[in-house]
Amino acid sequence: MATKKEEKQFEKERKAAAKARQRRMKEIGIEKFLTPEQIKYNRRQRAISAVWPVFRFLILFGLCFIILYPLIFMLSTAFRPSEQMNDPSIIWIPKSFTMDNVKQTWGVMKFDKTLINTIILNLVASILQVVTCSITGYGFARFKFKGKNILFGIVIMMIVVPPQITTIPLYMQFAHFKPEFLAKLFTLGKSASLINSPWTMYLPALFANGIRAGLFIFIFRQFFRGLPKELEDAAYLDGCSPLYTYVKIMIPNARQSFLTVFLFSIVWYWNDYYVSSSFFTNNDTVALMLKNLNTNLIQQLFDGQSVSVRQIIVWLEAGCLLSITPILVMYVFLQRYFVEGIEKSGLAN
Amino acid sequence: MSDTEKTTTAAAPAKAEKKHRLSYEKRKGLYGYGFIALWALGTLYFFIYPLIVSIIYSFNETHVQPGGMEMKYIGWKNYVNAFRKDQDYSLALVDMLKNTALRTPLIIIFSIFIALVLNQKFKGRTFARAVFFLPVIIATGPVMDIINGNMSTGGYSGGSEQFSTMFEANLVDQLLNFLGIYNISDKLSSIINSLTTDIFNLVWNSGIQILLILAALQGISPASKEAAQMEGATSWEFFWKITLPTISPMILASVVYTVVDSFVDPGNKVMTIVLNKSTNWDHGYSAAMAWAYFAIIGVCLAIIVAILNKVIYYEVE
Repeated sequence: MATKKEEKQFEKERKAAAKARQRRMKEIGIEKFLTPEQIKYNRRQRAISAVWPVFRFLILFGLCFIILYPLIFMLSTAFRPSEQMNDPSIIWIPKSFTMDNVKQTWGVMKFDKTLINTIILNLVASILQVVTCSITGYGFARFKFKGKNILFGIVIMMIVVPPQITTIPLYMQFAHFKPEFLAKLFTLGKSASLINSPWTMYLPALFANGIRAGLFIFIFRQFFRGLPKELEDAAYLDGCSPLYTYVKIMIPNARQSFLTVFLFSIVWYWNDYYVSSSFFTNNDTVALMLKNLNTNLIQQLFDGQSVSVRQIIVWLEAGCLLSITPILVMYVFLQRYFVEGIEKSGLAN
Repeated sequence: MSDTEKTTTAAAPAKAEKKHRLSYEKRKGLYGYGFIALWALGTLYFFIYPLIVSIIYSFNETHVQPGGMEMKYIGWKNYVNAFRKDQDYSLALVDMLKNTALRTPLIIIFSIFIALVLNQKFKGRTFARAVFFLPVIIATGPVMDIINGNMSTGGYSGGSEQFSTMFEANLVDQLLNFLGIYNISDKLSSIINSLTTDIFNLVWNSGIQILLILAALQGISPASKEAAQMEGATSWEFFWKITLPTISPMILASVVYTVVDSFVDPGNKVMTIVLNKSTNWDHGYSAAMAWAYFAIIGVCLAIIVAILNKVIYYEVE
């Protein structure tokens, strides 16, 4: 195997050789070597390879700008004094910068408490979800049993059925959780209702029914199906039990897809406000805080007067900035796993 | 367990060896149940049961009470009301279907194009990919509401609104005036306005689709590309003859994802109506609306999948 450096060197040499050959051919007269169609084809390829990169750059640049636009706008407004919002001479860069918006929004969102709360909730739920979904996915990928197709149909249902259909009955279930002693155990004996307790998130995740669990089971199943069967057969011959094989052989091989599912799980838990708004009435996650930021801001900063969006926008954008920063930091560092993970997770096959 | 015992006793007298293998297969099947047991339990409790309860709600008039839900059976009345009496609901539904039918092909074609571009080798590819997947982590959250909210507030408070005013106010007007053309600019700027809003929504909604299709593109072996080049195929021919068939299963997945995503999005009109009804404690009615809606989604999806399945090329395993 050649190293990357060597490969680059080879590529260079190859190109130089091709160029030299071309020159020689031209000196002699190119018609002697190639048919007219080939000459035409080559010419067209050359034209495309000259024009396309410019065109590509323009398209990508424009689209990247569209995507980054709200983020740039966020940065531009979050540190801008509110009065300067109405100054027509300012488009991007404000005349002076201020941290007040961010500080005030931090206070309104009780961001320190909320952040820690959300991170714990997300991590626990995501880890539980990854573990249980992978086990389920493995079961669907590698074992034959009666009713498997019907059961897998239910997994597909879980992907397609909107959570809005099941939320209200689920709410009733959590509010009157049975058996009662378990509810008392989960809430440390305070009440028989699980509403407002993080267990409303942990319990479904623990049973592979968390947010978008169906999709994750599907991904894991696809991935495990793509792994060679010989891996386990060898382990079985050596007398391993299926569970032991799964833990010792399959998990190390599936590290990449574990990471991918874990990241997606974190992102979706972080962004979820619908499910959590049904089960948490105290707004203790970042997404819920952000959802209600408008109302809270009006109450706490404007004494309940009605204000236009333009007056309040700097605080809203500051809130946005605060709430996407953690996930954005994670994304910047782990970005390649999002992409590579999907590629290798077998979804591609 | 009784199943395994039965088979072992039945096969025992004849072939001892075969008996052993049979029971092994069965045992493996049981392990399979073991692996999915946790999920099956959870699904019964957190998915199937609520689903059934919600169907029951939809046939009842419900009142919330301290001890639980009080129900009165009224048959199909909730469903009839949703379509007959509630004008907003059917209108929103038709609107929604139209929107989805328009948007889905656009999103898919756009994603294929972008995925093809991002699959090429060029400088700054990592950065471009990172930017294009950014919507994946942001677009599902409440941040999107604020970004979108900005767009509809008018003036230059943000989003695509400002984006289009940039063109509208300065460039287009001035250019046209310079050329001696007046009065067209209003129409033109409104076109540009809607176009930019569309592009904005398009780009922000196709993160996952680009990701999926790009993943499928990685599965095309470079050898086939080389072979095609040797034979003198243009990139255009290569795309239609090789690329498209290979990624077609993933295109189906993206189509399904796009449709489901746009149907399920809590921000869409039908969902807003459904959720409003349920915050007004009218759970039975809301459940009926949600189920009717879901039935329509199901039928749409089934039709789409059935049609696309005919054109899709599956590699024979």
